[in-house]
Amino acid sequence: MPAKPDPQTPMFRVAYTKLTEGQIASALAKVAKAGPACASPLSDSLRGKSLRIVTDKGPTLSYRFASDRQLSVSENGGKAVDAGYGALVQDHITLIAHLIPNSLRGYAVVIDNRTNIATVFDLWFGGFVDKREVMREIYPGYVDTGKPEPVKRHKLSNRAEGKGFYWKQDTGYETLEYYPSAAYSHFVELTGTGNEMGFSAPSDYLQIDDEFYIYDRWEAEFSGTFTLYVMDLNRQEQIGLRLGFDRLDALDYYLFRGKGEWLGQIAQFEKFGDTNGAVLPLPENAKKGERRVYRPVRTYPKMTREQVAEAVAKNRRVFAPRVGAGSGASGMAVNGTPPVDVLAGKTFTIRYDGGPVMEYRVASADTLSWRKDGGAWKEARYQAWESMPGVVLFGHLLEGEPNHDGHMIVADFDAGLASCFNGYLNTPYFAQEAGARTLFGVLEGQGIPSPGSQRHQRTRELLGRALTWNYAPGLTSMHLYSTPNTVSWIIFTDSGAGGMEWSGSGDFVKIRDGLYFAYWLEEACNGTLGTILINMRTMHDAGIGYHCGEEGLSMSQIGAHARHAGQFDVARFFAKKEA
Amino acid sequence: MPETSEMTEAGTSSRRAFLKGGAIVAAPLAVAIPGAAIAADEREARLRRLEDEAAIRALHQDWLRRVNARTAADALFVDASAAQCLDAAVCAIAPDHAAEAERIEIAEDGKRATGRFTCLIETETRLLPENTFAQMALAQGGGITRTSERREVRANYVKLGQSWAIATIETRAV
Repeated sequence: MPAKPDPQTPMFRVAYTKLTEGQIASALAKVAKAGPACASPLSDSLRGKSLRIVTDKGPTLSYRFASDRQLSVSENGGKAVDAGYGALVQDHITLIAHLIPNSLRGYAVVIDNRTNIATVFDLWFGGFVDKREVMREIYPGYVDTGKPEPVKRHKLSNRAEGKGFYWKQDTGYETLEYYPSAAYSHFVELTGTGNEMGFSAPSDYLQIDDEFYIYDRWEAEFSGTFTLYVMDLNRQEQIGLRLGFDRLDALDYYLFRGKGEWLGQIAQFEKFGDTNGAVLPLPENAKKGERRVYRPVRTYPKMTREQVAEAVAKNRRVFAPRVGAGSGASGMAVNGTPPVDVLAGKTFTIRYDGGPVMEYRVASADTLSWRKDGGAWKEARYQAWESMPGVVLFGHLLEGEPNHDGHMIVADFDAGLASCFNGYLNTPYFAQEAGARTLFGVLEGQGIPSPGSQRHQRTRELLGRALTWNYAPGLTSMHLYSTPNTVSWIIFTDSGAGGMEWSGSGDFVKIRDGLYFAYWLEEACNGTLGTILINMRTMHDAGIGYHCGEEGLSMSQIGAHARHAGQFDVARFFAKKEA
Repeated sequence: MPETSEMTEAGTSSRRAFLKGGAIVAAPLAVAIPGAAIAADEREARLRRLEDEAAIRALHQDWLRRVNARTAADALFVDASAAQCLDAAVCAIAPDHAAEAERIEIAEDGKRATGRFTCLIETETRLLPENTFAQMALAQGGGITRTSERREVRANYVKLGQSWAIATIETRAV
């Protein structure tokens, strides 16, 4: 029996059980007739009533509600089946959820009681390779009251984009939920994990009216769990459904109420007047429920240590001209600043606390010699950028190191301080995937002042911020620094809407006021370590990507123009604990 | 483009130059020949040029339509292989009405002509899936960068029987 995953294991590292349809059916059978659990009192507003929900291109559902827990439902005039259900009401919105017994299916229905506009979420297991992943198809419709049908429908909208909430369910489950995209969302589980990591998942946002929205996400590539809620923006309250199997394969099937706290609103980048929420085109010949989902691990080759060693020996490209595939960050520096030669002719030493002593002799604008801990001198190609006067970012590979290390260093020659993001390979999940450690140290050399015990410090000044990065014409993404150690990135669509999103570990170091050194790891997707020195005054970065793949090991420039999209107010949710 | 295919100064003037020249020439003629009697052969030549220019203009419009519709333009060319004259990244061409007017020059023999048209040329480039950004952009149905540039379309035409065909087309930076 495989070991149960540690709650602190990031979602993209959990080897979720490949549940069979039989296992899923067995679990659903236990709850389908009883209905969803709920920690709050369920609504009895439907008891004794009948409802006919007509959808535009989907099913017609005829309900009879015998009690506040039991209903019968007929799909498209078919034979009625009895099922357990639950309903919650938030102001003028009712949410109903139930399964269809003896199936892998169920429905969630959201009704606006003022307008009789309704939206049906057709939910099912078994529709994807991973059977545990809950699929959904959304059908706009209305409640048939015998009167003329309403003209409007709840519709996909980008009007929720850019918002963020802290939510606490009646179950005690707490999350930070960011909506930086019109097609994805980013969530941080504050309960139970303790690892302060954020994750990204495909989502839908439907506007009911100006203050009520329907949100859903399914944790694709993770547990496959589906979450849906109606959020009341002004009251900061939610009613919702959670359906799926958690990382321990226990079934979550419950309705919840939640209370929230507003985290803020960041900028949107669509044209004014554009409120379209269907921002990602459906795949060609899309089947029911299919949509575009970023599933990187399925195509990411898994290399062994031996394969990595072979690839690195075969090809190392350090700031090489960008031709062909595989440099990991290639093409990400059209808007970068040109490298500088300020280090040429300099000799200096960096002593890292608890780390190596690195000595440097810099021969030219792109060649230096280094030695580690008094060992043999080795020559390396490097490049450097001076982001602020006296502050230089430079990077080089450490040939001969067993884990094929690369150092990306910010050296402040005016302060005598240096910080290094030490990239390395041979990491536990994919050997070619980069890992990183942060080293703090001092610079020693002629004319360089001694900082004494002062060091660069980790910072939370970037926490909650979102910065867009335009690397080249048509190549713009946004970083969201969602936790003290998470970087999430969102890829814009052609219309400027936030599209796909993914996330990885990160770290943030303050170099000077307005100057920050950050990294992100493209974990479980491409394995690149991205490091950038962010200048919040010039709104420009200088950066270095460190990447290994079957084509070899590379180090390449990153550079982009920035825009500040805003900052979510989340510092209070993360206890200060880093050194 | 081969130099021989360029129109030379020996070529007959463009429509605009033709009309301008005609006006200059016409003044003394008007004095010399009251009643504006223009020789029949000159009227015929002038009409033929105007018809040729109109035909070339229509041919150019047809080519533009086909480029923009991404349909084959082989039939408009003397040699079908010359129809592949644009970079594969070109996805649209539009006349630049803010630029200098088009210039069509017909050779003296009436068998060859050149056209100069300032256009806005739009290109689209599909990202290579060589980094996470590009992989995600492609996965979401995007990953295509578009740029627009003002360029001069230079065309050489040949008259085959009663019809004009395109011999070559190239674009140059303006």
